[in-house]
Amino acid sequence: MSTKTESKNWVGQSLPRKEEDRLLRGRGKFADDVKLREMLYLRFVRSPYAHAKIVSIDTSAAEALPGVVCTLTGKEIEPYTQPFIEIAPEPGGKIRDFPLAISKVRYQGEPVVAVAAESPSLADDAAELVQVEYEALDPVVDGEEALTDRSILHEEAGTNKIWRGVFEYGDVEKAFKEAAHVVSIDRLHFHRFSSTPLENNVVIGQWDRKDERIHYWCNNSFPSFAIQFLAGHLNVHIDRIRVETFDIGGSFGIKITSYPQMSICALASKKAGGRPVKWVETRSEHMTSSAHGNERTFRDTRVALDKDGVITAIASRHIDDCGAYPRYEPLGCVIWSQVFPGVYRFKNARIDFSQAVTNKCPVGPNRGYSRMQHLWFLERLVDICAHELGIPADEMRLRNYIRPEEMPYTTPNGCVYDSGNYPKMMEVAKSLIGWDEWKKKQEAARKEGRLLGIGIGTTLDSGTNNFGQSQIINPGAPFSGNSQGANCKLDIYGEVVVAVGSCPQGQGHETTSAQVVADVLNISPDMITVRTGFDTDRNVHTGFSGTYASQFAVSGLSAVHGAAQKLKGEMKRLAAFVLVSKEDDIEFGSGAQGPELRSKSNGKSINYWGLANIVNVNSAVLPEELYEITLNCRYIWRAPFAVPDKVKKYGKLTLTYASQLHIAVVEIEQGTYIPRILDYVAVDDCGTVINPGIVEGQVYGATAHGIGAALLESCVYDAVGNMLTSTFSDYTPITAVNMPKVKYGHIETRSPFTYSGAKGMGEGGAAPVHTISAALQDAVFSKGIIIQDSFNNADTMFRALEGKEIYQAGPLVKVEHRA
Amino acid sequence: MAIKLGGEFEVARKPDDVFDFLTDPNKYGPLLPDFQSMSVQDATHFTVKVNVGISYIKGVAEVKMELTEADRPTRAQYKGQGSVAGGNVSLIAGFDLSATVAGTKVAWQGEAQIFGRLTSVAGGLLEPLGKKNVQKMIDALQGALKQDSEPASIAPALSPQPSEP
Repeated sequence: MSTKTESKNWVGQSLPRKEEDRLLRGRGKFADDVKLREMLYLRFVRSPYAHAKIVSIDTSAAEALPGVVCTLTGKEIEPYTQPFIEIAPEPGGKIRDFPLAISKVRYQGEPVVAVAAESPSLADDAAELVQVEYEALDPVVDGEEALTDRSILHEEAGTNKIWRGVFEYGDVEKAFKEAAHVVSIDRLHFHRFSSTPLENNVVIGQWDRKDERIHYWCNNSFPSFAIQFLAGHLNVHIDRIRVETFDIGGSFGIKITSYPQMSICALASKKAGGRPVKWVETRSEHMTSSAHGNERTFRDTRVALDKDGVITAIASRHIDDCGAYPRYEPLGCVIWSQVFPGVYRFKNARIDFSQAVTNKCPVGPNRGYSRMQHLWFLERLVDICAHELGIPADEMRLRNYIRPEEMPYTTPNGCVYDSGNYPKMMEVAKSLIGWDEWKKKQEAARKEGRLLGIGIGTTLDSGTNNFGQSQIINPGAPFSGNSQGANCKLDIYGEVVVAVGSCPQGQGHETTSAQVVADVLNISPDMITVRTGFDTDRNVHTGFSGTYASQFAVSGLSAVHGAAQKLKGEMKRLAAFVLVSKEDDIEFGSGAQGPELRSKSNGKSINYWGLANIVNVNSAVLPEELYEITLNCRYIWRAPFAVPDKVKKYGKLTLTYASQLHIAVVEIEQGTYIPRILDYVAVDDCGTVINPGIVEGQVYGATAHGIGAALLESCVYDAVGNMLTSTFSDYTPITAVNMPKVKYGHIETRSPFTYSGAKGMGEGGAAPVHTISAALQDAVFSKGIIIQDSFNNADTMFRALEGKEIYQAGPLVKVEHRA
Repeated sequence: MAIKLGGEFEVARKPDDVFDFLTDPNKYGPLLPDFQSMSVQDATHFTVKVNVGISYIKGVAEVKMELTEADRPTRAQYKGQGSVAGGNVSLIAGFDLSATVAGTKVAWQGEAQIFGRLTSVAGGLLEPLGKKNVQKMIDALQGALKQDSEPASIAPALSPQPSEP
């Protein structure tokens, strides 16, 4: 049994995770563990082309194979389904997106035919017998080029430009006019990478013909979003869709967009007479056709600075590449603006933002979604300006940081940063890494001709979205605010059972929920059962339920806290009646018979079983005025948001802002050009820490993800849209072998906007990508090279240092010094 | 993935003879690398089956060929499209002929576009393999044009050849 430290709450203690025992002993239950009677197995025939017309499809040979139950094509399902909802207004809103390609394919790996068979191997064999004739079309694989509409992906939209908006605040022209220095940067590029969860997507769908209900067993990480897309698409009432999730082996956002495959499993089940249909994604399928992170190009950037190197304005043009279908997009076109100025104080800015479709895998939310691209961009600006003006990188940041005394800080676009102390984080990080010692070592290394750089990356992890920002994208969008549901009950035998509308994928929701409830009821977390996984039939979800966007510590635990408080109130009222006492005299705690309530005034007590018994099976003793007590308390937490100003693009877009500051020491190895991390520090501030062990684990995970993205992981396409990195041999995800030792530190600045002072965390804002770019910049600036891409490996370093074709500072950066 | 190659050679045959050879599917088809069999639909269309093998990916590719340009005696061009497990291929093979003192100069251009998973699981091998196979075809073409006999007798000597690098 866990023991509480005297006078300390459970919240804040580094308790071992309740989930650990189950998961480490191999007793976790995952979607693929679900085996159902008469289950069929589904395989997709996928497009080898990035862009092609479908001339003909012949499924006869596959259907003739014994054991094959049915096939599905896009043309076959089109009359019975609606295209998926488009979040974009027109022209993007005109796109007709179906789960199987109908008349043309738009990315390599796009599903064209589905085959359902009695076994996975039969489905594989049958899929190979399907004949599809294509007529290749001109592909477009670059976002900027896509905007020229040279080759249009979606004829119904008439353009590849899905969305465009100008975000302008302050007086940009005046700031540039008055600037002491103007730095212009021609092009920066944030590369496309993804997440590689241990468990790929899995869907089992069953269309029960008896009650016309669809039941999903799956690992989608935002089921309440998925069912909103599926209900209209499948022409069923949303209540007729049940989604259950279980333990999930990682998502990082990527599993949000598995609803097209969910659709096909249900439709195949319907065609197969209601038999359940299971689809288990292969690794190559995951790499080519699940979802990638957004790729973004930053053009024509100008930065205005005063004589001290303080940034006064920025202006830039951003092009986001969302792949072939805008499935969660164009939300990314506004979500970046949650962190509009990053951690910096500039007030004047103009960003001209466009999003284009290209013949590549559709993007989906990927850890740090949309904000990391922008934060990387800002960090590059700060870093390039520092080098060009000869200001040390740490000093440059300190001159530009929002100051702790300015918190809560309102950004130029109306977001409110709840708390933070960036200078303090830098102080902690510098101390942990031994900044002064490394500076001396760097000087010595440079004398030996070695390329050693020290980089700082400061970033924000904005959590708990205001979905009203979708109205900035599309004024007709029906979403605003944010909410989460939870239920806390005393079961018939007095067991405390908690259910939440989240679907954890390693974040420790079971443990942290128990910690919160334990504090409310003054019992041990071991006495609390938390039902994990999502289930629509538990009725604790809202339209925003799921696990994404660094919000559980705020939305999830606030809902749990609210439900526990509600339960506590009912228990107290009931106990006061039973113990013949005043409510104020009732105390919560544990006694000889387990958790109990005791009257201070008369010393009588009743345990949880006794209390639950009165409501559930001995209710004749209850007076009428207590009939409303159920000991089964549902609570919906609502974030305190208003709808943002859609015209000015102004308002509170997020509730909390965790921050991270990383420092890396990187050396480019002589001869091999491999960037080697020599030392690394990650400092985190997520406000009140619910469970330090879980937070530290999340920081390591996010750091690993970011280091992988910075140095190893890139989704590479060739000129005709072939994805060249569809296996782990080519994509080379980070592993423990190439993960450096990370020194961890943290500070706590409480959020004034949450009941606990906690801020959502776990995405890390891709801090390592910014940090490693900065360290490499520091290493090669003396060679006249600008780090202009977020992905840098031995090959790019070799080309930078030996070829220099696109890395030279001259063509990329221009600096105007004014009197 | 695009593979582009080109080159030229000379043969001691008249341009008309070379042109006749190149535009006859029955003579040209068997010269394709790792030829297995072919069926001729008409004077300008034929389908050829060739062995394909890269590492553990092995199979037979069915390539539909079309003679798209035939300007006697100066130019011939084929376009082809085929599929194999893991990928599709589109190819163009063009031949520009000009008379020389010794016979005919053949300037050739080949371009293959490869689509599909094949490119990601074996992308690094495709370019050298493609170059090797195109060179094999040109060598076979040169060999066939040098001989007086009909190319039908040449084909068996040219295929099948293992295609692994």
